[in-house]
Amino acid sequence: MTIIQVSNLQKSFGQLSVLKNITFDVKKNDVIAVIGPSGSGKSTMLRSIIHLEKVDNGSIRINEDDLVKNGIYPNDRKIKQITHKMGMVFQHFNLFPHLTVKENLEIAPLVVQSEKIEIVRKRSTEVLEKVGLSDKANVFPAKLSGGQKQRVAIARALMMNPDILLFDEPTSALDPELTGEVLKVMKILAQEHMTMIVVTHEMGFAKEVANRILFMDNGEIVESGSPEQLFSNPKNERTKSFLTKAYQ
Amino acid sequence: MSTDYLVNITIPMLEGAKITILLFLIAIAFSIPLGFFITLLSQSNNKVISGISKSYVYVMRGTPLLLQLLFICFGLPMIPVIGEYLVMDRFVAACLGFILNYAAYFSEIFRGGLLSIDKGQYEAAQVLGFSRSQTTIKIILPQMFRIALPAVSNESITLIKDTALLYAVAVPELLHFAQTAVNRDFTIVPFFIAGIIFLLLTLVLTAIFRWLEHKFKFE
Repeated sequence: MTIIQVSNLQKSFGQLSVLKNITFDVKKNDVIAVIGPSGSGKSTMLRSIIHLEKVDNGSIRINEDDLVKNGIYPNDRKIKQITHKMGMVFQHFNLFPHLTVKENLEIAPLVVQSEKIEIVRKRSTEVLEKVGLSDKANVFPAKLSGGQKQRVAIARALMMNPDILLFDEPTSALDPELTGEVLKVMKILAQEHMTMIVVTHEMGFAKEVANRILFMDNGEIVESGSPEQLFSNPKNERTKSFLTKAYQ
Repeated sequence: MSTDYLVNITIPMLEGAKITILLFLIAIAFSIPLGFFITLLSQSNNKVISGISKSYVYVMRGTPLLLQLLFICFGLPMIPVIGEYLVMDRFVAACLGFILNYAAYFSEIFRGGLLSIDKGQYEAAQVLGFSRSQTTIKIILPQMFRIALPAVSNESITLIKDTALLYAVAVPELLHFAQTAVNRDFTIVPFFIAGIIFLLLTLVLTAIFRWLEHKFKFE
């Protein structure tokens, strides 16, 4: 079942065209890794899906609703309703520094969804356990390591019960020894059949966890396919050259 | 110099200090919310509204507080036709002057706090579904006040010393009584006592803000 349908997405910043006719589908339970050189438009594409960026033209359909159709957006309320079922994890975590870990998790369900506090409490306890941070519930983000912060950010996104999770280079700001703990949590989510789109430089993760790889360069999807096919037998020259460099 | 003398001159000065403290409390209580309101106006997408806010800050910061106080106390009543309705009690007029002036400074402090908040905070709030007002109230303002706290502390200490400007508009405060005693008894001791009282007030303020900063350390 297709839950995201992206077609002919176009966007430019002034003269610079950052997205050129991006088209792809995401099916339920897909784990899609988006790879490619810096500045290839990966993040912009991802951010467009959750309306952190506006596109100039093209369409994005989510769960049979048009987030944007041929470059035309519906009203803010409708947009909010459509993006509501997606969660996002950022490169720089973007935790709320004035709230404890637990409060970071609970604020959106309480404030945005007006859920009952007992239900939210229960869920935050479970989610924290899932990311392995039960002992950090009452700590402020400033006291956490990068890996722990990113796990809290994932937990915060999970609190909203999303259908789709978007990850924008979730391990790029981390020290190498801390990426493992974050990738491990993401693997668990993949095993639980969470639909995920992950912009990443972690080729190992892409190969092992994703069921489909999109290789982007210069604002285009140059090649897409299964990890086996794309990593061992890339068809496009640009893909080959990128992968050679990535493994050097 | 007898202890009796010291007590005799200190008592009226403490009475004057009451006025100082009262002015301080009134000025703080009104200028912080007003300053915050001006900050919000400065963030408006409407050019006229943000322009008014900027001009206000420019005028209030760009002219001496003393000039503003003199204008409110003595200038307003001289305006033709409406002047007679603008005669205020000196203390009330002074409070008004301090509030209007300090609000401009506080608004700039808060604006600085707003600017230093990472745009990632807004994005995180947006993807979690927060509305604009929920984002402002729950996410941005608490961080803004925390960032602004040291500067607010500094400004408050300046304010307590600026209350001495009441002297110029003849509201009897701490300095007025010190000066009276100096002239009458030909001694500089009252100046020292006034200095000590100001230092004590500053000490209390510093302690309060230290405590606030510690309480809202978020660590």
